[in-house]
Amino acid sequence: MNMLEINNLKTTVGDAEILKGLSLKVNAGEVHAIMGPNGSGKSTLALVIAGHDDYVVTDGTVQYDGQDLLELTPEERARTGVFLGFQYPVEIPGVNNAYLLKAAINAKRRHEGRSEVDAFEFLQLAREKMKDLDMDPSFLNRGVNEGFSGGEKKRNEILQMVMLEPRLAILDETDSGLDIDALKAVAKGINAMRSPDRAIIVITHYQRLLDYVEPDFVHVLSEGRIVRSGDKTLAQQLEDKGYDWVREAASA
Amino acid sequence: MIAIAHELLEAAVRRMPEDALTPARKAALAHFATSGFPTVSDEDWKYTNLRHAVELSNTWLGNDIVASPESNLTAAAEEAVKAITESIDAYWIVVANGIATVDTMPGANDLRSNGVSITKLSQNGDVAAIIANDPMTSFNAALLQDGLRVRVQPSANPSKPLAFLFVDEATQGDLSQARLIIDVDAGATIDIIEAHVSVGSDPQFANTVIQLRVADGARVGFVRIQERADSHMQVGKLIADLRRDAYFDYASFDFGGSLIRNDVAVNIMEPGASVNLNGLYLASGKQHIDNHTRIDHRVGPSQSREEYRGILGGRSRCVFNGKAIVHKGADGTDAEQSNHNLLLSETAEIDTKPELEIYAEDVKCAHGATVGQLDNSALFYLRSRGLDRDAAVQLLTRAFAARILAAAPIAETHAYIAQKTDQRLDALIHGDSQ
Ligand SMILES: Nc1ncnc2c1ncn2[C@@H]1O[C@H](COP(=O)(O)OP(=O)(O)O)[C@@H](O)[C@H]1O
Ligand SMILES: [Mg+2]
Repeated sequence: MNMLEINNLKTTVGDAEILKGLSLKVNAGEVHAIMGPNGSGKSTLALVIAGHDDYVVTDGTVQYDGQDLLELTPEERARTGVFLGFQYPVEIPGVNNAYLLKAAINAKRRHEGRSEVDAFEFLQLAREKMKDLDMDPSFLNRGVNEGFSGGEKKRNEILQMVMLEPRLAILDETDSGLDIDALKAVAKGINAMRSPDRAIIVITHYQRLLDYVEPDFVHVLSEGRIVRSGDKTLAQQLEDKGYDWVREAASA
Repeated sequence: MIAIAHELLEAAVRRMPEDALTPARKAALAHFATSGFPTVSDEDWKYTNLRHAVELSNTWLGNDIVASPESNLTAAAEEAVKAITESIDAYWIVVANGIATVDTMPGANDLRSNGVSITKLSQNGDVAAIIANDPMTSFNAALLQDGLRVRVQPSANPSKPLAFLFVDEATQGDLSQARLIIDVDAGATIDIIEAHVSVGSDPQFANTVIQLRVADGARVGFVRIQERADSHMQVGKLIADLRRDAYFDYASFDFGGSLIRNDVAVNIMEPGASVNLNGLYLASGKQHIDNHTRIDHRVGPSQSREEYRGILGGRSRCVFNGKAIVHKGADGTDAEQSNHNLLLSETAEIDTKPELEIYAEDVKCAHGATVGQLDNSALFYLRSRGLDRDAAVQLLTRAFAARILAAAPIAETHAYIAQKTDQRLDALIHGDSQ
């Protein structure tokens, strides 16, 4: 059984149809990269999987571990191990970063029938993971993403991912806007998550991240459909020939 | 618009005991006779209709009773008193159904030896100090049994805040008038709490006035906590006069009541004074909460900072009107004012109006107001991390209120206010998802 199986997915936002019959299969242990030009529907796909209600599914199915993912609320999806690293993480002044992190972990643990995380262990672990990501521990005590730079927000997303240990992680352009040091830190965080029972989907606009996080599969999304799939060499081809090449191939 | 029954009011004033306050009552009655209760055609009362308060007042006046000077509380009221006085460590003075009994007040000696004296207004004799210059302060003075006169001496150094608890119960007095006159002497520092609780499901109407004079260089921290029963009405007015270099740090919290109107009038009378007004109102059901503030910068330099925030659910209606007036010659005035509102339901309503009137030259003034709903992308972000909708809404509304909680003076009140805020938000969120 595939961990994630998307069949002929069609979604609208407002009046516009964005995903126009998208299909994708992802197995545990795999890393998939989804590339594509701006506006092709990459974030839409990520947000539909996470359960954002601005995006209406008009056709198709999404199965996660054999269950209908579209039936679940966003919080239920998160608790069963779906994680979305946002392209644009929201600033939430007044909500403490550590509080959210802990509440998120506890929501998941409660769902799994486990006891709440010990406050001391939580802090130890958070500090350790932050060190790996080259994040100052003071970020724990700030408002969620409040006043964070672009790179700091992306690291915070990765911090949440490594603390929550999802089964399916979708990272939406976590690499964009990062300098090379931040990119390496983020890539290190992603690579540390690779495991036989976890799947990772990295959405990226550039080949750059894939130099550090080697995907098993690369898909090209264009105008709401996956128009080409291949191995990591596809990313290099894209980089060399540009997106027009796939667009032409798709319409041919 | 139903009017107050004047002959009944006159009879009630006549029935009150002859004492030092009698001339003040009569003068106030004469003043009130020219105006009557404010109506919605008065600009300042446009959104707040006192019709039910007038009806209740007429019934009460017609019943031919004037609350006895003894104020015995029922067990339910005693419980309500305990709940707050045992939670906030302070010198508590209970004003029950408008009547304060200072003689039996615990800690009175302690306060006296620390430079704070409290006497009955009727004993003090300074009747001229009683302000009765608008309808509601006049109505208060006309029917005032007695009030309290508080004096905070320059050397005052009480170890705990001075706290006044206005407790009313519908079965004892359907109508109550209370008044405090507080003088804070030059250089003194004091924390003052004004708390309101009430019990009983019948309607009740309380009308309170607090006059505060802050002398040269004195510093006053002030917290108002209003958690009246949901069938009870209250009109309150705080008048604060600030002298040279005085500092007045005020925060107000509205949690309860059916109809609440609170006025804060700050007079900056001498240079160097500084005032902070902060307020939080949480309304649900059919609550009506109206906060009116007015800051008169009569001289400069002086500074005022004001921020009120409201979270509204159900069919509640709130009003914010904040007026800052920079008088001619008040150069060097620095005034900032804002009001932000979060509407959790489509049927909640807010009327907000920050106003600036500037008649001086060299001033720095800013004001603004916002009305919005919960940020949907923030809500989704929290849910995508596994928090259920209610928990996410609680977090976001709490974050919205946090600025006012953080701005409140008097640390002794903070845990209590935070707890009440959480309770109210909980009720608001769950009430609205039904
Ligand atoms: N919330 C939204 N409201 C309206 N249009 C949207 C919304 N989200 C996405 N779109 C539109 O959907 C299309 C795909 O956007 P998106 O999924 O963000 O693309 P990508 O992530 O590939 O750049 C774009 O045309 C965009 O304008
Ligand atoms: Mg995108």
